[in-house]
Amino acid sequence: MIFQKAKGIHIEGRKEACKKIPIKDYLSPKYVYIPLLQRATNLKAEVSVGDEVKIGQLVATNEQQMNIRVHASISGKVTGIKKAWHSSGKMVDSIEIENDFKNQLIETIKKEENVDSLTREQLIKKMELAGITGLGGAGFPTHIKYKTKAKIDAVIINAIECEPYLTCDFHFITKYPEKLLKGATYFMRAADAKKVVVAYKTYNNQIREALQPFLSKYPHVELHPIKNIYPAGWEKYIVEQVTKKTYNGLPAEAGVIVNNSATAITFCDAVEMNIPLIARPVSINGEGILHPSSFYVPIGTKVSELVELCGGYVKDLDPLKYNYIAGGPMTGRAIFIDDLIVNDTLGAVIVKKASEGVYPECLGCGKCADVCPVYLTPTEIKKAFERKDVKLLGDLNANKCVECGLCSYICPSHIEITEAVAKGKDLLRKGAK
Amino acid sequence: MARFAGGKAPFVRASEEKDYGTKVIMRDVMIALLPVILFSWYKNGIQVYIDGNIGLLEMFYPLFFILIGGFLSVLMEGIFYFVTDKENRTIKSVMQKLSLSFPAIPGLILALLLPLYTPIWVLIFAAFIATIIGKMIFGGFGHNVFNPALLGYAVVGFTLMGVINNAGGLFNASEAVVDAYAGATPLGKLASSGQINYDTLVAPYGSLWDFFIGTIPGALGETSALAILFGGLYLVIRKVIKWYTPVIYVGTIFVLSWIIGAVTGDAGLWFPAYSILSGGVMFAAVFMITEPVTTPTNVLGKVFFALFLGVFTVLFRFVGSLPEGVGTSLIFMNIFTLPIDKFTAVIRTKRFKKPGGLYLGILTGLLVILAVYTLVKAGAMYTVYIPFLGWVI
Repeated sequence: MIFQKAKGIHIEGRKEACKKIPIKDYLSPKYVYIPLLQRATNLKAEVSVGDEVKIGQLVATNEQQMNIRVHASISGKVTGIKKAWHSSGKMVDSIEIENDFKNQLIETIKKEENVDSLTREQLIKKMELAGITGLGGAGFPTHIKYKTKAKIDAVIINAIECEPYLTCDFHFITKYPEKLLKGATYFMRAADAKKVVVAYKTYNNQIREALQPFLSKYPHVELHPIKNIYPAGWEKYIVEQVTKKTYNGLPAEAGVIVNNSATAITFCDAVEMNIPLIARPVSINGEGILHPSSFYVPIGTKVSELVELCGGYVKDLDPLKYNYIAGGPMTGRAIFIDDLIVNDTLGAVIVKKASEGVYPECLGCGKCADVCPVYLTPTEIKKAFERKDVKLLGDLNANKCVECGLCSYICPSHIEITEAVAKGKDLLRKGAK
Repeated sequence: MARFAGGKAPFVRASEEKDYGTKVIMRDVMIALLPVILFSWYKNGIQVYIDGNIGLLEMFYPLFFILIGGFLSVLMEGIFYFVTDKENRTIKSVMQKLSLSFPAIPGLILALLLPLYTPIWVLIFAAFIATIIGKMIFGGFGHNVFNPALLGYAVVGFTLMGVINNAGGLFNASEAVVDAYAGATPLGKLASSGQINYDTLVAPYGSLWDFFIGTIPGALGETSALAILFGGLYLVIRKVIKWYTPVIYVGTIFVLSWIIGAVTGDAGLWFPAYSILSGGVMFAAVFMITEPVTTPTNVLGKVFFALFLGVFTVLFRFVGSLPEGVGTSLIFMNIFTLPIDKFTAVIRTKRFKKPGGLYLGILTGLLVILAVYTLVKAGAMYTVYIPFLGWVI
């Protein structure tokens, strides 16, 4: 009651409209825009205007920071470096490639013969060369996770997708169940672990049904159902549920590595076919979309083309009364112009009604503190931020905020409390330096 | 390409759904007040009419009095908005602001705190103190430091109690003729006699069952524990209040009163039961110490607040000038809501690490010192069982 951790809350999923329709491939857009930005890191273009590129060719890198590598997702001609709207909410320089519709693959993309004899180091090297990043939303380069010195007991595959409206992981898993298990197995070998745990939501029982037939071939895999609450997909929550252990910094402290399910499927292709990260699933959903559905698209595709494939926006949509959200509705970002491109962390674009109306002041009900999964007191952090009291922000652990959005969600007075806490966190970080 | 609206994550909000939000919370508080209002009307109107002590029109007076309290505070808040908002002085703007500041609740609670025969001009004065001084001057809903209704009640209680008593006070026509009451409430008897004695304190009013049902003399809303519990249960089920805030508050008073009774030679459970069933403890526990704006926000803060409040209530019963102790202690503790909120928030995150442990130590230490002081003080007032402590105080 007093020192107990919040257990998360149930939020209506609103996934059904999109779940009914199977995922579609949309692999040959006319143009793609490969952003020269990944996880707040600027990249250097490795190709110049006029070059012919093949699918899988290296086009941008940053070797200083975590060796980020980005590859061409279609074959064709580089026609320019142009600004494009990126899911970070900014316009970002991007490499524009015009499709020649020949689908030429780079020579390195071929079947790997000796898959079963690959060592741990070779698997991690493949991860690094394929430029695999977390497709769940944080976009952390995966090979860094596996270069840990800690003893890893298990690899956890996060198939939870706890935010409302999101269905791309669900679709991707049910389409490629065996690839998921294979990719997870390669992850397990890359970590020298003994088992794989696939964590999914009880709500998404179809995931269990899809994986069940293959489990006899993969005896080291176990399925772990998780309650249908938010934020069940948060890394720390899953680790605590699965291992009953907790950690402060990285999951490796608890002897596990957590990876998103789409990452595992991508890694399976990277190991068996040497295909780098060039495509990802995206859901287009929300009340503003005529026929919501999910797509498997090359990175750099324009979202507006996908929206058109969904039948466009609903009739008579007044854009100024709708939000165009990059990412999930709990943690995503409102994009002002619907000219977004798909990048590695973009799992969904949601068009839904913007909030309107006037609401009363904070009444001090304390619901925000009750639901906080890291047991902070958002109201006090907000006050401390408004007074610019850095010491108090430190005492209130403002840096522990995971920006899950639950405090704003639950607030009966519709206060932007998550934003205030996030600002407090920034102030503490700057002030502490 | 189109230009879309801005906004901040999360884009899904519970407050945009039906049946959730601050307006619903405040509506629930009004619903929870309903059994209290109805019982008060029954006890002071209908039953007295059945007894044949008042006429038919007068039967509606208690209900009228409570509703006029709510109406007055809405009216005053409306006038305040009309006068202060120079740029947008329209009825529509005033109505919109009123819909966001829940003006009726302080007035209703104020009327429930006052005696039945409070003159209407005193009610108007009290409503002015409550809404304008207690709420609007501080910045309106969400910014007030003191519980508005309680502030209005306290000011009237300190200054105009004589006027109220001359006008008939809290005894309805049926109660005024009962000789056994001798013109005093149960707590009034405790203050005047200074004796912990079942025959003096409980027997004149019937039994403790009457205390629980609420057929004893007292202010309009405070007497019936039963009606208040109904309201409280509704609020707990609707998740408007936490069940433990009232329970800890009432429990603290119960335990301390039990010890005081035992020290003075009567260890029966009737005295603690009498203590929590009289003087508006129940009403405050459900409707006032859970009032979100003027009490701490986080769970730990609520727990400490209720504990401190329980100790202060017992203390002020024996040393304060208002016999209840409830109002005085709550007004006093309202001042400390902000620091309690801040310190308990640090304790929540830092636990026993610096500086959380220090704050926890300070709060617990203060609480223990106060509780011991209260016990000694109360004991010393009634007996000479612990004379060696007399010189300490």
